Amino acid sequence: MKVGLFVTCLVDLVRPGIGFAALGLLEGAGCEVVVPEAQTCCGQPGYNSGAREVSQALARKVLAEFRDCDYVVAPSGSCSGQVKVHYVDDLFRDAPERAEFERLAARWYELSDFLVNVLKIESLPGRIEGEVTYHDSCAGLREIGIKAQPRELLKRAGARIHEMNECEKCCGFGGTFSVKLGDISTRMAANKCANIRATGVKTIAGGDLGCLLNIEGRLRREGDMETRVVHYAELISTDKHG
Amino acid sequence: MQVQSMFFKRTASEKLNDALLQRNMANLKSKFVDGRARAITEIEDWEEIRTHAAALRDRTIANLDAYLVEFERNATRRGARVHWAQTAADACRIAVEIAQANGVRKVTKSKSMVSEEVNLNERLEEAGIQVVETDLGEYILQLAQEPPSHIVAPAIHKSKEQVADLFEAAHHKPRSTDIPALTQEAREALREHFLTADMGISGANFVIAETGTTLTVTNEGNADMVTTVPRIHCVITGIEKVIPTLEDFATLIRLLPRSAIGQGIANYLTLTTGVKGEGDLDGPEQTHVILVDAGRTRLVGSDMQAMLRCIRCGACMNHCPVYQNVGGHAYGWVYPGPMGSVLTPVYVGIENAGDLPNAATFCGECQVVCPVKIPLPDLMRKLREQQFETKQRPFGERLALNAWAFMARRPRLYAAFTRIASRIGAWMGGRDKLIHSLPGIDGWTKGRDMPAPAGKTFRELYRERRPSPQPSRKGEGA
Amino acid sequence: MSARDNILGRIRKAQGRSGTEPTAAELAQVRADIARRAPGPIPAIGRASDLQRQFTHACDRVGTSHGEVASLEDVPAEARRYLDANALEPRLVGWHELAGLDWTSAGIALEDRPARGSDRASVTTCFCAIAETGTLLLLSSPATPKATALLPETHVCVASKSRLVPNMEAAFALLRAERGEPPRATWFVSGPSRTADIEQTLVIGAHGPYRVHVILVP
Repeated sequence: MKVGLFVTCLVDLVRPGIGFAALGLLEGAGCEVVVPEAQTCCGQPGYNSGAREVSQALARKVLAEFRDCDYVVAPSGSCSGQVKVHYVDDLFRDAPERAEFERLAARWYELSDFLVNVLKIESLPGRIEGEVTYHDSCAGLREIGIKAQPRELLKRAGARIHEMNECEKCCGFGGTFSVKLGDISTRMAANKCANIRATGVKTIAGGDLGCLLNIEGRLRREGDMETRVVHYAELISTDKHG
Repeated sequence: MQVQSMFFKRTASEKLNDALLQRNMANLKSKFVDGRARAITEIEDWEEIRTHAAALRDRTIANLDAYLVEFERNATRRGARVHWAQTAADACRIAVEIAQANGVRKVTKSKSMVSEEVNLNERLEEAGIQVVETDLGEYILQLAQEPPSHIVAPAIHKSKEQVADLFEAAHHKPRSTDIPALTQEAREALREHFLTADMGISGANFVIAETGTTLTVTNEGNADMVTTVPRIHCVITGIEKVIPTLEDFATLIRLLPRSAIGQGIANYLTLTTGVKGEGDLDGPEQTHVILVDAGRTRLVGSDMQAMLRCIRCGACMNHCPVYQNVGGHAYGWVYPGPMGSVLTPVYVGIENAGDLPNAATFCGECQVVCPVKIPLPDLMRKLREQQFETKQRPFGERLALNAWAFMARRPRLYAAFTRIASRIGAWMGGRDKLIHSLPGIDGWTKGRDMPAPAGKTFRELYRERRPSPQPSRKGEGA
Repeated sequence: MSARDNILGRIRKAQGRSGTEPTAAELAQVRADIARRAPGPIPAIGRASDLQRQFTHACDRVGTSHGEVASLEDVPAEARRYLDANALEPRLVGWHELAGLDWTSAGIALEDRPARGSDRASVTTCFCAIAETGTLLLLSSPATPKATALLPETHVCVASKSRLVPNMEAAFALLRAERGEPPRATWFVSGPSRTADIEQTLVIGAHGPYRVHVILVP
């Protein structure tokens, strides 16, 4: 079974360790993983900024790069939502290539969903001590139903999940929103951080790096250098990125 | 209402620092958000009803002209006069003419967002007619000379202390901040107006084609006073409000009060058809219905037609994290929140409301709670597409977007750029691994640090660790 | 071209049709659709098997008090009990069809006329009552002025259990069957008036009645 890893542009640029964690988990479960070298971006930033043509061009590029894979897995709910929902329902809804994008969508999985529901992974390499709180990224939750899967993985690795108030509420990232309407975005991040603080938990996990950077950025600016803000893949794997 | 939507960004930032507003907006969560969540548990087939309602709204809009004509036929048959207004000015002109032709000196009004759209109160007052808002929230705002900040709870941004100040000045009674006492004061102040108004103006939550009926959904009973007591009743409403049958109303009314304020049923559902019947001891002698276009026909047949399904419940704004944080006034016109971010650019011009469709993270909560399943994030995205195609976004934004787009399609260039960016970012982060300030993205760094990149990209690290080259494929490494 | 022509014309053009008036065929289709009167899904609370229980439960939820008597003749006594219990004067303005009951023996001064702004309490019947939501349906007519149920602070409503229907769809069906179409005012009342426009704090008693009391008769 050939699994293509879609690393995501943010992971590639900012936190490659998440990509290696995903790679390690998939290979550890017995997958043959390929990482097409020319991948760049799923097109979501442009799509949400209204650049439709560019979004379609990038979508075609993604389709071509992962054509030969049995599955494609990405450590991101929003990229996965872009491919599984927006490519099919919007960008190529009336296009001749629609069927191909439907097939891509059917083969495409967010990482935790793949591990839990396709690989049905039993054991995980990482061990987690103590409590973790979890932030449900909007696109992953509402577009493709990522909710129980990451929590399941964290629990299997030994974590106690301590839910925060309003765990499903938007953290304020929203892609370019975080810069274009920075004041509102910052307030939303601050609200999220207040909910995190109220749990007393020192590790917050999530499934989308954009959200995690936003949350961490606000925590640090508030003076919190202690709380760990990590992708769930980093907690349940033992790969060190260096 | 005067359009102030072009000042969204600045006003929103001010509102974030308005402590009183922030405190008042907290009521949204406990009352409307939690209330809705509880109320929908009473309906085990909630999702089924939503689907049915969305379909019935779509079906009606697909034959909007025929349903409007059928409504007109039945309303006219029952003695009402139906008027058609293409623009805001037309709607006001018609209402003023009706008032003047009938010697109207005082109008009582129940809440109508369409009347806000067209600035009806101002036009009536210019014609020398006294207008008294009777919905408590609208009454408060009339005294404050402020526009509404929410379509269902117009004075949500006001505290009881602010209301007490307004009432003290207007009613000349000892100041009280006791909410029941304030309500009683308003009831007494408005009672006399109810009984002496010559004309009552109401909106219509829906108009029913089958019977020629217009209807209001209220809790206070003020719409009943307004539509029963005066000798003339004038309804002003949008053309998209028509629904086919009484049964369709029965379906929609299960969704509306629950979505809006978490109530299983609103106190008063007031269906009015025609005029005072033969021998009736109360009711208006004349009933006028003004059907207003004012931009709605722009949406018909367009890829944003779904917005016309809207039943004005306010659930979208109640659940929108942006609205919750900045309140309704920042949106600068009649309709705030997600539905306002769609309607305002369409009705007043996207060049006057450019920031509104961008004031969203597309978290999707609005779409989840919309009782008629309007795909609000998709509609906002379509407006962003319009802005992109007509080059309406600021130059810096367009430059950044175009640069990113250029590179993302060229993997080797992209790889080179990201290698450099990763190193620079890591260097800027220093020992902290945090970037504290970065010109160009000070929207981020004003209130947050940016965790620094690792220093090398995944792509280069993967190559280092997995040196065996992959078989080259067409289209790769271009 | 009138405003009507322009509006209808724009709608039609946007949907790929010509002209400024729906065709006879289009109108016929819409009328056929309307005539089907297809209801939407009805939830369990709208399909209660014990209508009275669902009704009284729903009344409790909306703040309508309720009592039950064995026959119409017992209504004045129950009304008197209710007025006394709420420290209200035993005066009522009422709809004509109730004028013939023995109010005098119950010590109530009943006036058979439409309510005025100064009346404090009224008594009416209702066309039917809806179990799903604790709702009373009142229809206007020469003998049933809406003002009587709207203006006074206290509204007592006599509801027949034989005209208790499960949901609004059933109420509309009954309305059509007995009256053909809605009269000028078709008014659904669910509880005493309320507002929460000041700090979203609920206050009972806005412009409509402060109190609604239902007396169930056979």
